[in-house]
Amino acid sequence: MGYDWDFWVVFREFGLLMHGLINTLKVTGLSLTFGVPLGLCLALLRLYGNWPIRVPVGIIIEFFRATPPIAQLFWFFFALPILIGVEIDPFKASVLTFSLQSSAFFAEVFRGGIVSIDKGQWEAAKAIGMNRNKSLKRIILPQAVKRMIPAFLERAIELMKTTTLVGTISYADLLYEANTIAQSTYRSLEVFTVAAGIYFVIIFVCSIGVRQLERRMARTGETTAH
Amino acid sequence: MTTVLSIQNIHKIFGDLEVLKGIDVNVEKSETIVILGASGSGKSTLLRCINFMEVPTSGRIVLSGKTIGKETAGKVIYNEAELNALRTRVGMVFQHFNLFPHMTVRENVMEGPRTVLKCDKDECGRRASKYLDKVGLGWKSEAYPSQLSGGQQQRVAIARALAMEPDIMLFDEATSALDPELVGEVLETIKELADEGMTMLIVTHELGFAYTVADRVLFLSEGRILEQGTPAEVLVYPKQDGTKNFLKGHGSFRLPEPKLD
Ligand SMILES: Nc1ncnc2c1ncn2[C@@H]1O[C@H](COP(=O)(O)OP(=O)(O)OP(=O)(O)O)[C@@H](O)[C@H]1O
Ligand SMILES: [Mg+2]
Repeated sequence: MGYDWDFWVVFREFGLLMHGLINTLKVTGLSLTFGVPLGLCLALLRLYGNWPIRVPVGIIIEFFRATPPIAQLFWFFFALPILIGVEIDPFKASVLTFSLQSSAFFAEVFRGGIVSIDKGQWEAAKAIGMNRNKSLKRIILPQAVKRMIPAFLERAIELMKTTTLVGTISYADLLYEANTIAQSTYRSLEVFTVAAGIYFVIIFVCSIGVRQLERRMARTGETTAH
Repeated sequence: MTTVLSIQNIHKIFGDLEVLKGIDVNVEKSETIVILGASGSGKSTLLRCINFMEVPTSGRIVLSGKTIGKETAGKVIYNEAELNALRTRVGMVFQHFNLFPHMTVRENVMEGPRTVLKCDKDECGRRASKYLDKVGLGWKSEAYPSQLSGGQQQRVAIARALAMEPDIMLFDEATSALDPELVGEVLETIKELADEGMTMLIVTHELGFAYTVADRVLFLSEGRILEQGTPAEVLVYPKQDGTKNFLKGHGSFRLPEPKLD
């Protein structure tokens, strides 16, 4: 039973796929841009805030980690507009959802990185007169971030994959456009194979890039020998 | 003589454990004081109270004539900025070096002058070169801590503390984490500082070193100074049973005379 492959239809519609890819990258990129710094803020508040700050921040983080991303997306797209009386378009709802959702995960990555740094580093910084902010910025975070790279990459990849949900609120990402093409050409096999291939190539290339970066950083001596 | 540091009736309580039970010490300029005592006697806690890594439960720290903290209604209030400023004038060297692994040797030494003291670039560079040369590691400026031996790392940590040009240096078992063959180079560096007139408080288990470097030896026992005096008075002719027992315990580890022929 030979299936008659025909990739030509996919290439004819390649412009549409690229349009979808750009939208996927836009949502992923913007969510990272907002989610990472926000995650750092949440981590610092959770670690060093006094309890009226620490507790609600902890609840927010856990809430985003413990609810399905699609439920969050629906909430920001369908429910939030009712609450605030302003329409939110699919793009904004997507970026909003995934910025917040990923920030919750990045907060935990940052927190893990920060607490993994030896107490002696804080003490050494303190002993030369650094306050807590300076210690964090100059001594703790640079070391923590280095250790976080693998976890960070994993979250970023997870985020890119999760953004495929935006199709459910009709935001035309890569998968959404692939689906459109498949519907009109009846070439599901080819279209979805190419779409999956594109995701794979991007994620794979990023992984290699980060691993390369990690290796280069490792050369500049990560550990203190005792 | 000028008193650099005055420790007055310092108490420190952790939970319901009173670790320091009223310590009084005056440290004169250029004086080298060695603090001895059994494990748990409060040596580290005493050093850590001086630069407020631990806040004393009561008592007073006076550095270069200035009392730290504000006394209001019998309670002393410490303000973070004041404590950070104090710490720039008190150098501390740790048992585990605690160098910043993401910075080169030179960057480690410049970090304090640059980001805390806000020295300009020339001054930071001058201090880094001066103090790295002093500990004999100018040639390792561009290395990372992980590329150095333990002894070298500890000497960089000493240079890092010196670069702040502090009034006094604190050493908490600076050689305890080192392989025996690396202890000597660090002790020599400390000895040179003593000879140059640095004011120092040194916690160590190296009794031979204590004997040669100290102007005064304090023996701490259960949070009190049990005995103090010149190295000979405390180490050779101790008066208190506590001191005698401590020295006996250490005596049993003395190596036999080497037989060379
Ligand atoms: N942060 C802390 N919280 C509670 N207890 C502490 C703390 N720091 C020290 N202690 C206790 O205080 C006592 C004295 O500790 P300290 O470290 O000052 O002793 P030490 O003389 O330096 O001993 P060693 O020779 O083992 O270093 C110990 O019983 C220790 O368990
Ligand atoms: Mg100790």
